[in-house]
Amino acid sequence: MAHVKNENQTGIFGKGIRAQETRLAWLLMSPTALIVFGLVLFPAFFSIWISFHDVGLDNLNNVFGAEFTGFDNYRDVIDDFAFKWQGWNQWGAFVTTIVYSFTSTILTLFLGLIAALILNQKFVGRGLARGIFLFPYVAPVVSVAFVWRWILDPGPAGVLNDVLMSTNVIDLPKAYLAQRGLAIWIVVLFQGWRYFPFAMLMILARLQAIDTTLFEAVDVDGGNAWDKFRYVTLPDLRYVLGAIFLLRLLWTFNKFDDIWLLTGGGYGTNVLPVLTYQFSFNSSNFGKGAATAMILLVFLVVFIVIYVLTVMRNLEED
Amino acid sequence: MVNQTNSASYEKKSFIDHLAASLSWQRFLLGVGLFMFLAMILFPFYWMVSSSFKARSEIGGRNPVYIPSELRLDAYQELFNPNVDHFQDFGTNILNSVRVAFPTAILTVIIATLGAYAVARLRFSGKEFLINSVLIVYLFPAVLLIIPLFAMLSSLSETLGFQVQDNLIIIIFTYLAQTLPVAIYMLTSYFRTIPAEIEQAAQIDGCSRFEVIWRITLPLSVPALVTVGLYTFMIAWNELLYALIFLNSRDLFTMPIKINTIFNDPSNRLHTVMAASTIMTLPVIILFLSFERFLEQGLTSGSVKG
Repeated sequence: MAHVKNENQTGIFGKGIRAQETRLAWLLMSPTALIVFGLVLFPAFFSIWISFHDVGLDNLNNVFGAEFTGFDNYRDVIDDFAFKWQGWNQWGAFVTTIVYSFTSTILTLFLGLIAALILNQKFVGRGLARGIFLFPYVAPVVSVAFVWRWILDPGPAGVLNDVLMSTNVIDLPKAYLAQRGLAIWIVVLFQGWRYFPFAMLMILARLQAIDTTLFEAVDVDGGNAWDKFRYVTLPDLRYVLGAIFLLRLLWTFNKFDDIWLLTGGGYGTNVLPVLTYQFSFNSSNFGKGAATAMILLVFLVVFIVIYVLTVMRNLEED
Repeated sequence: MVNQTNSASYEKKSFIDHLAASLSWQRFLLGVGLFMFLAMILFPFYWMVSSSFKARSEIGGRNPVYIPSELRLDAYQELFNPNVDHFQDFGTNILNSVRVAFPTAILTVIIATLGAYAVARLRFSGKEFLINSVLIVYLFPAVLLIIPLFAMLSSLSETLGFQVQDNLIIIIFTYLAQTLPVAIYMLTSYFRTIPAEIEQAAQIDGCSRFEVIWRITLPLSVPALVTVGLYTFMIAWNELLYALIFLNSRDLFTMPIKINTIFNDPSNRLHTVMAASTIMTLPVIILFLSFERFLEQGLTSGSVKG
């Protein structure tokens, strides 16, 4: 912004500079604005509209003529056996989403922290190791999800089955991704494996900015490596850990690909994004799908506001 | 470790010994940790590539084949050779992915450069509103937007007379909606690091605003433009959900949904899935390794939503 003042001081441009700048700015922004409004913001509001109307395959060509049904779609979703909590064997998508998002985010953060601490040490080939550590995150999700499914194959040719059977941990091959109660934790493991590099990079950037004299101070006081970690590293990382937690939770909450590819949402792994897809495109009930997505979004917004106001504010003050 | 204790022997011995002991203990933990991480990360990738060179009998046998006896090209034959059984015509799918990913990357870079320049350099009313509405996109799950987009475009196609399903141009536009916010965010912060004084000097010399952008700002921003281009290319290359909804014809399938289709083939074709996955993953890994420095910076600025 500084240059605008400078231009005025040098007096090259006349009084109309501000108006001229606004015109130019909107001209430059117009393609972006068109796409963002047309393909993101309008659809987002339209999605609220759809959630209150009866939209199916039959009236898709004439959406705006769809019948207004009030909160019927929401009631349908909340009463749906796939959505609601029905005890410890049937979590329902809502509870599953929460458990899955929180545990995978915590695992991601934990693995990312360990990986960052490892890569923060000096050793031969560190640059290469750093590159390799990022592979799970940059590789296409389709490829890695299917490799995992192949490793976890229910047949005796599956690697995990082979390893566990030859070490006599299990007698018969298991279908890890098709077993209620187990599948969800496998999916969480996959999330940890795939997304820890993101946390790692953010933590690593922060680690490299830590003032090393603080470590020397711990040495002088006779502290060991654990003391350094506890009294210097961890306090310094608090804010970045809080921020990664929020970002990853948000993205995990909205994630469709991973679970859809690994289990298709079956065996107690159904989450709200997959349920939204199923309602809309398998049962062609777009109103119900939109209502599911709105429930997801409202929960997310409420959570973010609470998190930012409480946790992040506390972290900042310290 | 021994050398270290010797060279530092003028210090208090007990303290140094303690340090050396804890240091080697740390080194041991480091080695174990590093090994476990590398094994955990690399095994799936090894398994993908090695399985792609196996015969079908080696995939569905009684035991996993850890090291293929020979490099069999059965799976690759199925993908590319029209004369074998279960020919998948994967070449077409690669081409479709290229035809979607390149325009997405190029259009994103061009459109985002214009927008980001306006945000970084110009003062105009409504700027805050625009930036906020662009960033709020981060919050929306892709699955929320797909329903209204599908309904909206279906309605529009009746009146405007274009096809929504099986239209690669529609796919590119929906990808732009996902990549633009991120690209603008990254480029804006980069443009802000270029001193405005350089541009002012050029303006005083009589360059117009567009000449300034073209001759001064863009050449200075090549690293950022490359990063944004690579990212958006990778996003479009990997995208699954929108392609799944908007593409029905096998001739137009991009690689991710084609691989999904092969995987769901009831006759076990895992070796083919692994071959196709290898082909899809390789360019991404090569791009990533060749531009690692740029891309890591992009990653830490939160550029990849996922």
